Amino acid sequence: MVKQLWGYAAVAARWLSGRVAAITALSSLLFFVILLGFGLIGISSWLFVLSFIYFQIVLGLVIFRRLKHFRWKRDTGFMLNHVGLFIALLAAMLGNGDLQRLHMTVTTDFPEWRVTDEKGEMVELPLAIELKSFTIDEYPPKLFLVDNTTGEVLPEKQPQNLLVEDCPLTSRLLDWEIEVTDYLPSAAAMITKDTVLFKAFHSEGATSAVYVKAHNMTDDTRREGWVSCGNFMFQYVALRLDDRVSLIMPDREPKRFASDIIVYAKDKDTREYMLEVNKPMSVAGWKIYQLSYDERMGKWSRTSVFELVRDPWLPTVYLGILMMLAGAVYLFVSAPVKKD
Amino acid sequence: MSWDYFIYIALPSVLCWIAGAYFAYKATGYKKAIAFTVAGLLLFFSFIIGMWMSLERPPMRTMGETRLWYSFFLPIAGLITYVRWRYKWILSFSTLLSFVFICINLLKPEIHNKALMPALQSPWFAPHVIVYMFAYAMLGASAIIAFYLLVSKRKVTIDRSIMSLCDNLVYVGTAFLTIGMLFGALWAKEAWGHYWSWDPKETWAAATWLGYLLYIHFRLYRQANHRTALGLILFSFLLLQICWFGVNYLPSAQGSIHVYN
Ligand code: HEM
Repeated sequence: MVKQLWGYAAVAARWLSGRVAAITALSSLLFFVILLGFGLIGISSWLFVLSFIYFQIVLGLVIFRRLKHFRWKRDTGFMLNHVGLFIALLAAMLGNGDLQRLHMTVTTDFPEWRVTDEKGEMVELPLAIELKSFTIDEYPPKLFLVDNTTGEVLPEKQPQNLLVEDCPLTSRLLDWEIEVTDYLPSAAAMITKDTVLFKAFHSEGATSAVYVKAHNMTDDTRREGWVSCGNFMFQYVALRLDDRVSLIMPDREPKRFASDIIVYAKDKDTREYMLEVNKPMSVAGWKIYQLSYDERMGKWSRTSVFELVRDPWLPTVYLGILMMLAGAVYLFVSAPVKKD
Repeated sequence: MSWDYFIYIALPSVLCWIAGAYFAYKATGYKKAIAFTVAGLLLFFSFIIGMWMSLERPPMRTMGETRLWYSFFLPIAGLITYVRWRYKWILSFSTLLSFVFICINLLKPEIHNKALMPALQSPWFAPHVIVYMFAYAMLGASAIIAFYLLVSKRKVTIDRSIMSLCDNLVYVGTAFLTIGMLFGALWAKEAWGHYWSWDPKETWAAATWLGYLLYIHFRLYRQANHRTALGLILFSFLLLQICWFGVNYLPSAQGSIHVYN
């Protein structure tokens, strides 16, 4: 009885470690990934999970079968690719269970050690972060033409813009010749009875403004005035050129946002670090990422949001990825058959 | 250097590549074929460098910019294949494909601006895109060959040597696809804290990769069923198209973090 079951298992394992099984595993996973791509199922759909598990089992058995008569020269490339993928997937899957991902919102001058987890509940950490300052560098302002009635940027589908990199500057947008005669990167609006004026203003809450002279090349009309993107303190200001179009400045795009932080960890030295997107910091088993900031305040935000990630399986995933990279190089060099 | 000068650099480059393709057919033209192709590549690359400097960022963000790299890598892919396996016609073929992409860029240049969001400002950006574009060039070549074979050899059998060309192209393409994908994962970990999040672009990248793996393993299983194998190449290439620009139009992909303008 036991012997018979063992026999069935051996037959199943033999089939599951073969090429036909590999093809069924690859094609069924591909099928569900395509459904996923069209948004027809989610990643927690049991169909997807099942085909993933099947894939992983087949891959494991394929490797196992090769291992039984392993030969270095013949099988190195095979092992790098297959074992690498197996390790990376397994570690990523297990890692998902053990992964901790927390958000911490820090305001300048108040060290913070409490964080919220995925469910929004407070957690205390053996780690505190103080935000010394938060800065945003922005790209130069851009000017666009918009349709007065629809609010769409023009020309439709292929909007053109004018980048105010230096000043004075002359350029064209559709029929209009646009001359920028004054550019105030930090400005405040002065509202008088019937006009809005901008003056240089170098303190909290400043916005950006340009003074523009526009000349319509087809009907020779002229307009001039201030254009500003505004912010939480000042209203945005558009320049109405004619009945059809206005000139606007959308919010300036951030080039870099950075938090100057001090990290206090238990039993560790205090460390100061400039945290930026793409430049996370590692401390006491945690990685700290720059996530976001108070978007309403924009450039003048005094708070910064960090993501803290603890991923004990990371080194294992990296091992798998490294093996696959080596395997890919191997695949490239050994591209199979010569010209017959 | 701006897009306005593109035609003045692209046309001489294409002329060099045509000369290279011509010499590849000559019995003694091996060295000249290589020399002309390389000359065209250097010229074309000078334009890319010029764009890079004037934009102050790698020219890899918009579709037009990725097509630029694609037109650059096709002749490279052709050259490697030529040097390694000596197919005479491969240079004509890569030149033609590259020319098509140059024409698209000439007829429909897209707006270019300097802004590069912080997440894209990373040392991973350039290698990730370059490796992918090279893979796309290789896999594009295999797709055209597959299409040609399926259409022109409907009645006759497909010989093994041309199938091994397909294998070679797919192996090399898949190797680079794998590297591009893994670089992307490592980068995403640095930028967002997770290497894979099943975002639509990532999902289609996975589908594309699985498609080519399916081809590779199908070929191991059924050496003889050539037509199904070629069909798999075309199907995988379709997946690749969805991944490259199709996701920009897919309703299920709106809100993807990887869709830029
Ligand atoms: C990183 C992804 C993969 C790559 C690059 C890859 C590549 C290859 C290559 C080049 C071979 C032939 C080389 C040789 O026989 O030594 C091969 C064989 C094979 N692969 Fe994969 N493969 C991958 C993933 C998979 C997966 C996910 C499965 C199964 C689910 C699988 C199952 C098989 C099987 C069954 C063989 C035949 C083994 C044999 O005949 O002994 N492979 N693979």
